[in-house]
Amino acid sequence: MSKRRCQRVVRAFIILHSSFVILAPASAFGHGAEFLSAKLTLLPEAEVRLEITADFGGNPLIADEATARSALVDPVRLRVKDHLVALSDVAGASLSQHQNWAEFAPASYLPSDTEGQEHQLITAAWRWRSKTPEIIFEMPKGRMHDVLLWTRDETNPDAPPKWMLLLAGDKSKAISVHWTPWWRRWQTVMASSVFVLALGYFVSRNFTLRQRTL
Amino acid sequence: MNNRILSLLSVMALAGSAAAEVAYELVPNFITPPPGRETIGNGHGEIAVDSAGKIYVSVQDKDAGIQVYGTDGKFIKALPLPPSLHGFVIRKDNGGEFIFAAVLGEQKVIKCDLEGKVLMTIPTSEFPADKIGKGLKLTNCDVAPNGDIYVVDGYGQSHIFVFSREGKFKAVFGGPGEPLKLANAHKIFIDRRFEPARVMICDRGHKRMLHTDLAGNFIGEIATEMRNPSSASFHGDLMCVAEIAGNVSVWDKDNKRVADLGTSPKPTNTPKIEPKDWQQGIVTSPHGITFDNDGNILETEWNQWGRVLRWNVKK
Repeated sequence: MSKRRCQRVVRAFIILHSSFVILAPASAFGHGAEFLSAKLTLLPEAEVRLEITADFGGNPLIADEATARSALVDPVRLRVKDHLVALSDVAGASLSQHQNWAEFAPASYLPSDTEGQEHQLITAAWRWRSKTPEIIFEMPKGRMHDVLLWTRDETNPDAPPKWMLLLAGDKSKAISVHWTPWWRRWQTVMASSVFVLALGYFVSRNFTLRQRTL
Repeated sequence: MNNRILSLLSVMALAGSAAAEVAYELVPNFITPPPGRETIGNGHGEIAVDSAGKIYVSVQDKDAGIQVYGTDGKFIKALPLPPSLHGFVIRKDNGGEFIFAAVLGEQKVIKCDLEGKVLMTIPTSEFPADKIGKGLKLTNCDVAPNGDIYVVDGYGQSHIFVFSREGKFKAVFGGPGEPLKLANAHKIFIDRRFEPARVMICDRGHKRMLHTDLAGNFIGEIATEMRNPSSASFHGDLMCVAEIAGNVSVWDKDNKRVADLGTSPKPTNTPKIEPKDWQQGIVTSPHGITFDNDGNILETEWNQWGRVLRWNVKK
């Protein structure tokens, strides 16, 4: 390696090292997400996917993995008429561990001053088909973990995500799912049936006529 | 005769309730940021007022962790203090007036004069090793009438440490276990409205405030179901509270909520609300608060651009 290149490498190292020294303290004292992030994706045909993420690396309310897992057992409930339904009653949860905050929290809530902090995330995911055209989430009173509910419409990916922070006792707005009314579904079936019948009639009639001619 | 007595009693009751009423009005755009800046800068933030009425606001500027403003809200200077002063108070003690601050990023407490000269440090090594856990995350401190310094590990295990005026460890209480069962005890304050003084704890995880005596014995809950109480200040019989999920509240000595200010229509808890989205008089994520010497309220927010709101008490 030439002397000049060697000097350049040393200079680059010094610059990088000084940037780290300047930035590291600034990033070390931030606090991250003091909530569970609940990403709600609205899928076609009234399907709903809810992914709730707990951070046991940066949330002062979640000290370790066991607490994170316990926070995800019953984090928020569904309001159905006059009672609250646990998520475990509508679907089974699948759990995954990762460090990818960006995919599981909206930009305006991504932990910002915690870049130097190691996030340890667990996401619990539920997927179900809604039986109603609108869903409402509710936080029972006395809950410690706030839930940041943000909605992403998969049929309209360019739409900005909507978010709301639910504290204990709070209720979300009614969220419309991609609901197809029963008569619309039957309408399609009926139309298809009529078309098949008409086609059958047409074929059989022509075929029969041809036989007669013969 | 009976009617007269009843009327007199009614008038007295009405007069009493009128005296207890308190109202505030917003002072729009009170703060004038430092020259060349449109806002004060990245704030985590805390705010306090000295006996002369000058306003001290923390920002996360390197080697300029506190900005000082005049009573008119105009920038005077920055103090050469660390950028991670998560919580600080200004208190008179032993004949002087000092800043006591918890330095979150450096796991220590400092005492300095009002020019920012550090006079004393309580380093990590002074804290009991068995309570440090994965590392201290000190969020605030305050000073008792006898000079003892109370420090809280609010982003850590919510223990409250007591040090002598000289910075020597004396005692510890609180934490996640019985009897207080604290969770993210974000800030603590010595509540001198009572005699003897009490410790007021913002138990943010449980969305409540509570009192203990100076030895840490539970006295009672002040309020529950709050919007995540984060900081507080006292003036006369009143206490104002910054609730990070979007509210400022004022409480009397009987733990009755007497005013709500700047309430955000929907709860928030993020430092990323940009100035273009700020609404006049509506808070975003209140993180620090103080009364000035006349009972007016100054609030600062957890906000990357830095924000201070002021409400004057109506007299």
